[in-house]
Amino acid sequence: MSPAARNMIEVRDLTVGYDDRLVLERVNFQVRRGEVFAILGASGSGKSTLLKHLIGLYQPIAGDVLISGASLVHAEREERLLILRKFGVLYQSGALFGSLTTVENVRLPLDEFTELSEMAKDLIALSKLRLVGLESAATKLPADLSGGMQKRAGIARAIVLDPCILFLDEPSAGLDPITSAGLDALIRELVRGLGITFVMVTHELASIYSVADRVIVLDPHIRGIVAEGPPAWLRDHAPQPWVRQFLNREAT
Amino acid sequence: MTVARPNDLPVRWDFSLRPDGTAKLALSGDLDAESTPAFWTTLQAELAGAKLVRLEVDVSQLVSDSAGLALLYYLSTGAMTPGASVSLSGLTPELQHLLRSFSKEDFDALQEHEPTGSSFVDDVGTATWSWLRDLRQQIEFIGEVTLGVIMNLCRPRRMRWKEVFRVFEAAGVNAFPVVALLTFLVGMVIAFESAQPLAQFGAQVFVANLLGLVMSRELGPVMAAIMLAGRSGSAFAAELGTMKVNEELNALETMGLSPVQFLVIQRVVAGILLAPVLTVFAMYAGLLGGIPVLLGLGFPLRMVLLQVQSALHFGDLAEGLSKSIVFGVIVASISCLRGLQTGEGPRAVGESTTRSVVSSILLIIFADAVFAAVTYTLRK
Repeated sequence: MSPAARNMIEVRDLTVGYDDRLVLERVNFQVRRGEVFAILGASGSGKSTLLKHLIGLYQPIAGDVLISGASLVHAEREERLLILRKFGVLYQSGALFGSLTTVENVRLPLDEFTELSEMAKDLIALSKLRLVGLESAATKLPADLSGGMQKRAGIARAIVLDPCILFLDEPSAGLDPITSAGLDALIRELVRGLGITFVMVTHELASIYSVADRVIVLDPHIRGIVAEGPPAWLRDHAPQPWVRQFLNREAT
Repeated sequence: MTVARPNDLPVRWDFSLRPDGTAKLALSGDLDAESTPAFWTTLQAELAGAKLVRLEVDVSQLVSDSAGLALLYYLSTGAMTPGASVSLSGLTPELQHLLRSFSKEDFDALQEHEPTGSSFVDDVGTATWSWLRDLRQQIEFIGEVTLGVIMNLCRPRRMRWKEVFRVFEAAGVNAFPVVALLTFLVGMVIAFESAQPLAQFGAQVFVANLLGLVMSRELGPVMAAIMLAGRSGSAFAAELGTMKVNEELNALETMGLSPVQFLVIQRVVAGILLAPVLTVFAMYAGLLGGIPVLLGLGFPLRMVLLQVQSALHFGDLAEGLSKSIVFGVIVASISCLRGLQTGEGPRAVGESTTRSVVSSILLIIFADAVFAAVTYTLRK
């Protein structure tokens, strides 16, 4: 396999910011096919901003984001839709549509983008719900689900069109340790079973050590990546003391 | 010279000034948020008169909170004693630690009271410009949505009708009692108010004509649209705004679905269906409101109905209904636009709800004025 084909996501010289300030400057990194990749950093270092650029919600100041070789930044409407189809996103709150039941939420991308029969769409949606352990909550409204269930339903909706990449924004935020560990187990299962590439922004060190293959650490002072590598290796061998402290959960 | 101050403050202070300009200030007692403001003024007045070179402040007997520390910090910067050096002594380690959290930069920044506001002309220009840009955006959005609605009606199978009927029910059926009551009362008021001047010409029977025309051409559609803006437009803005805050709109976007296609079109179609129905209802309720007044004036019901019949033509009804369709599009799309424009955080939802009602009513009246001018020219 050529190196380009191994890279699921390629970020080239990405510079992002808001009206009056730069958040990240000339950031470069690659995410390989089938790995679990985590973006770490202190509060305010631009993790969420970076994620929103990776999924095309924001337009960067300069640079490019390639999703399996195609530029999301420069894509025209039709091409953009094709690229968007390659990934799913789990938002922090789950972002389920409140007026639709759980199974209708999961079915929605199928309704909009496929010509399958009603029966086939229901079958697929229910199979995804079973995959995340929510088959019993199919007909409930999102408001009647707990936070952890909403996130799992969000994952089911995100993978219903079988994307190659799944982006997770703070998957364990607001969850108790057991539910959060359950979510980690689900991620590992999806990586093994479906070969999905994961990109996650998180603060939860326990889940990073248990699922992430590689992490990057963002530093607000240099407005870029300060360290990159497997989390356990960085914890002991990162050249920057604060990265080691960060990964050991010590106060500075 | 030593002055001991017995006063009604819980802070006691000894101030001694030597002829060479060196002074000692010993503070004791409680310097807290309660006593600090009065003491601050007293101390400032006292020190303003004295010519000092050096001031030593002894606080070993003082109990102080953050307010007291702010005073001590202010004192130690020398702001109360220009030209003198000030030193604090007797601080406990805890207070010393807290005092270090006061910073010179903060203090200097607070000293600069330069008003940074721009000129009046600048402000007026900027405000006008942003208002015009906003208006342009609103009109563009209405155009985009209208086009979308037409395209969707050409392919009705792709439309989410379930959502249309859900909105129609929530926004419409429940609005009928309010619209009925409101226009009934307005009809009554108009009948009462016009009966008197018309009586002077012996033309009281024409109250019925007036009411019929006003209700079908003007007040029926306008009142219905204003109620629609207040009851349903605000609900649209709040619903879409909450979805924005909740990242549901982002989710739509990354799924490759357009919020206009997915959420706005349904609401606008519901608005188009709803506004004429509400308007017809408002017309009837307004007429009904006038009837008791006319009966009270001694006209038989049959005569009143004949008058209304003779005054109203199909054109009047058509004008009222075509207006109401335009109003329905305006209210629904502007409210949705405000919802989509919602910023970050829960407070933004409240703001966009307010903005939706204000902008809708403004544009309704604006469109009504355009209608009035056009129909006047056409009738001539």
